[in-house]
Amino acid sequence: MSFLVPLFLLGLAGVAVPIVIHLTKRQRKNVVRFPSLMFLEKIPYQEQRRRRVQHWFLLLLRAIALALLVFAFARPFMDRSDLVAGTTSGPREVVVLVDRSYSMEVEDRMEAARTEAMRVFDQLGPLDRASLVAFDRSATVLVRSTADRGRLRSALDTLRSGSDVTRFSPALRVAQTILEESELSAGAVYLLTDFQRTGWAGDEGVRLPTSAEFIPVALGTAAPENIQVSGVSLPRSVDGGRERITPTARLVRRGGDGRVEVPVTLEIDGQPVQTVQVGLDGDGATAVTFQPVTVSRPHTRGSVRIPPDAVPADDERHFVVSPGSALTVRVVGAPGGGPDPNLYLQRALGISSDGRFRVTTRRGNGLVAADTEGVDVLVLNDVRIDGSAAERLRAFVDGGGGVLVAMGENAAWPASAQDLLPGTPGAARDHDTGRGSRLGHLAYEHPVFEVFSGPRSGDFGGARFFRARDVTPSDSADVLARFDDGSVALAEFVTGRGRVMLWTTTLDAYWNDLALQPVYLPFTHRIAEHLAGRTEATPSFTVGQVIDLADERALEAAGLVAGAGEGLQEGAEQVALTPSGEGVRIPEGAEARFLSLDQRGFYTIRPPGGIADRPFTLAVNVDVEESGLETIDPEDVVLQVRAAAGGSMGSGADGAQALRREDQERRQSLWRWILAAALGLLILETVLSNRASRSTTLASPGTGSLG
Amino acid sequence: MATVNARRSARGARFLDPAVLARIGSLELLAKSVVDGFLTGLHRSPYLGFSTDFAEHRAYMPGDDVRRIDWRLFARTDRHYIKLFEAETNANFVVLLDSSRSMDYGSHEVTKLDYARYLAACLGYLSNKQRDRVGLVTFDHELVEYLPPSLRPIDTMLHLLDAVDAGRPGRLGPPLMRATELLGRKGIVALLSDLYEEPDAVLEAVGPLRARGHDVIVFQLLDPMELTFSFEGASGFEDLETGEQIPVVPERLRPAYRRLMDEHLATVAKRFSDNRIDYALLDTSKPLDDALFRYLLARERMRSSR
Repeated sequence: MSFLVPLFLLGLAGVAVPIVIHLTKRQRKNVVRFPSLMFLEKIPYQEQRRRRVQHWFLLLLRAIALALLVFAFARPFMDRSDLVAGTTSGPREVVVLVDRSYSMEVEDRMEAARTEAMRVFDQLGPLDRASLVAFDRSATVLVRSTADRGRLRSALDTLRSGSDVTRFSPALRVAQTILEESELSAGAVYLLTDFQRTGWAGDEGVRLPTSAEFIPVALGTAAPENIQVSGVSLPRSVDGGRERITPTARLVRRGGDGRVEVPVTLEIDGQPVQTVQVGLDGDGATAVTFQPVTVSRPHTRGSVRIPPDAVPADDERHFVVSPGSALTVRVVGAPGGGPDPNLYLQRALGISSDGRFRVTTRRGNGLVAADTEGVDVLVLNDVRIDGSAAERLRAFVDGGGGVLVAMGENAAWPASAQDLLPGTPGAARDHDTGRGSRLGHLAYEHPVFEVFSGPRSGDFGGARFFRARDVTPSDSADVLARFDDGSVALAEFVTGRGRVMLWTTTLDAYWNDLALQPVYLPFTHRIAEHLAGRTEATPSFTVGQVIDLADERALEAAGLVAGAGEGLQEGAEQVALTPSGEGVRIPEGAEARFLSLDQRGFYTIRPPGGIADRPFTLAVNVDVEESGLETIDPEDVVLQVRAAAGGSMGSGADGAQALRREDQERRQSLWRWILAAALGLLILETVLSNRASRSTTLASPGTGSLG
Repeated sequence: MATVNARRSARGARFLDPAVLARIGSLELLAKSVVDGFLTGLHRSPYLGFSTDFAEHRAYMPGDDVRRIDWRLFARTDRHYIKLFEAETNANFVVLLDSSRSMDYGSHEVTKLDYARYLAACLGYLSNKQRDRVGLVTFDHELVEYLPPSLRPIDTMLHLLDAVDAGRPGRLGPPLMRATELLGRKGIVALLSDLYEEPDAVLEAVGPLRARGHDVIVFQLLDPMELTFSFEGASGFEDLETGEQIPVVPERLRPAYRRLMDEHLATVAKRFSDNRIDYALLDTSKPLDDALFRYLLARERMRSSR
């Protein structure tokens, strides 16, 4: 029995107070020396004797009640750690951390981990408790702090290697938490892993209790030879009106000597379609390009495989592709009989290997219905817009359309629709200083200019601008490009679901020579794609990523083909089928609906009970970082964990012990029972004393009491 | 008290308080004459002896002294009669003083033993002055001191009284039986005791004295607290003789105690009265002379009623 606040035990002296008073009173009481007690003894005093006993009993009750109150305030608890300290090998809190990353598939390392863990569990004492934690990028407590070896064994049997990468620190933090919350004073942490170098970044702030033993168990020996498919690129092309992809896989060989021939197979929708034999030197890499494959159906599954080797997880690479949809671009040019102002733009957008733009043109002011119906991007190339046209334009933009307004000599904009533009256009102004203006500032962080941010990625400096409309940008507008005199060249404004961009000069070669520069084509492509809100679909994800199925843009980026994901974009209930065949319910709702991608392979998402022909499919691949099987010395981890703990193994012991004592006391809460017992005794004492007092009143011949 | 103060300065004479004796002296002769009728001076001897006062004749019995034959009556009746006279002689007066530990109690300056000393001294002095033979017996549970009756000055008696120490438990029966054996000649026996025994036991102890022909006067000495039991507050009451101690709340016990005490005193008085033994209850808080005076008055009333 220990006490959390033993100072309160001084209150036990209070128990002696009534006794001392009683004894003092007895000592000082008058002892009357009387000649003879022959008459007094004739008076019956049996009653009085019994009451004396009762009063002693009451005194005892009071003393016990007071003592119990003192004990309750002293917060008693059964200190099991003290019992532990008294034994030769006291109970320990054992935490077994087992690596389940996909590198544990190598050489049956997982089986070795199971064997080691079982050995640890078999060595547990009768009072020991153990926890089993599986970890990769994150840590999962499979069994927490139990002495039931059956549970531990069962959990161990179900342990399988996964598809994620190794990270030591989350597991060690879990172990730290378990040890700190344990009532036992001794602890041990077994780290069962292959100690990949990528799993430990050094001091990651792990603070294992210094009273705990840290035992690294290295599984596996040297890094075996491994060939991995490190990536697949899927360039598209349009040939004869058919969209095709040309898968190109990159293979890396780690370790090994000499050249090996590796058959690389391309599978489409589960069927091998091509196999290419490639030679790989030791620690070499190569690329394998397959014949183009026509993509005619949405959510087409593809995989690139090599024969399984030491690390099977990285011997395949999955992807999902769908036929791309061309963007419809409507270009409305200024009327007149002169040169076609739409010529350069039309030609630029028409040039693409995958036919991503479908361009139609018209000349004339104002807007007609055909200018906005079924159009993704509308280009107003030096066009006069009246009020009715502006309202049509507003509806188009609010519906998600993108508009590029190029202002030349002819362009005019009604004052009532000024809020549709990112600025207020003014008069045309000649940039006649020297040889015209150049673009002095570009927002390279913007998606339009992002591709030009790298070296040799396009040069806007060669373009000269001789005339432009002055524009005063509005507060909500983003100026993406300025001329070297500071005036606005390109501004963007987001309204509703759509975007409006304002180009303050012409799109042909009349006011500038940008149309003659090489960057003109990608520039116009980027603008059109940006205004259409088009993003490149991701052919594959990496294990550990999470996708929000309620995010429309995220779904689009994930390759969801419009019309193929039945009910998904509407927030209907869905079921995700994992690569292992397990169904994950995705409840109905418009709020975030996250799907954690923690297995390699294909996830299919469909309505419950629905049989879609081409369900929304996600390809998930392992992180090839885990394929690097280089190891670190386990002692490095030990030293760094100890260094993180301040290097003093006993520095945190007192605090941890105090925490455990408080924790023990809080869990046991003996004080509540003791307090209840004290109150019960006091109530009993009250009842008895009242009864005794009543009987005293009734028993008149009774003599007095000394109690 | 003056006698108490004189005790240290004049041992043996401290009891002779003139003021007390003056009052006793005025009643003494009358009292003793009333009691016994055999007086030397005021005393009347209970003995029939040779005296000038003719009492009666009786028939001569072989063994009688022939000198006591009334020859004149023989001449008239031709029968031998012995002439008996009421002898006027000194009486034996013996004080039986209880010196048990229970007598060493007093709720004020004078313990019962002190009071008994004074009383014994007064009676002894009075008797000695009347030329009675004065003796003294002290006892507790056995005979402690025995001073045979004599006509000598009572200095010895007073000295013994002064030396009396109440240190042992007492009983009435054995020592009084022993005293009965020692006191061969009939006389006046004054028993001074608190009589803390059952009435039957008391009578059983005193009865033999009376049976031997002694004129027994019993003075029961009790402290006022013994009579009233007017203690206050819960206390432990310790028996002076046995040392036994019991807890007592006097307020609760007082009625019962008084009732028992009254019953005891009444029973004792009745038993003595039935056996023609003089009895007086003396409160030690009352003046000594007052106690004697009350007693002698009571004897006088008894004489009148005879």
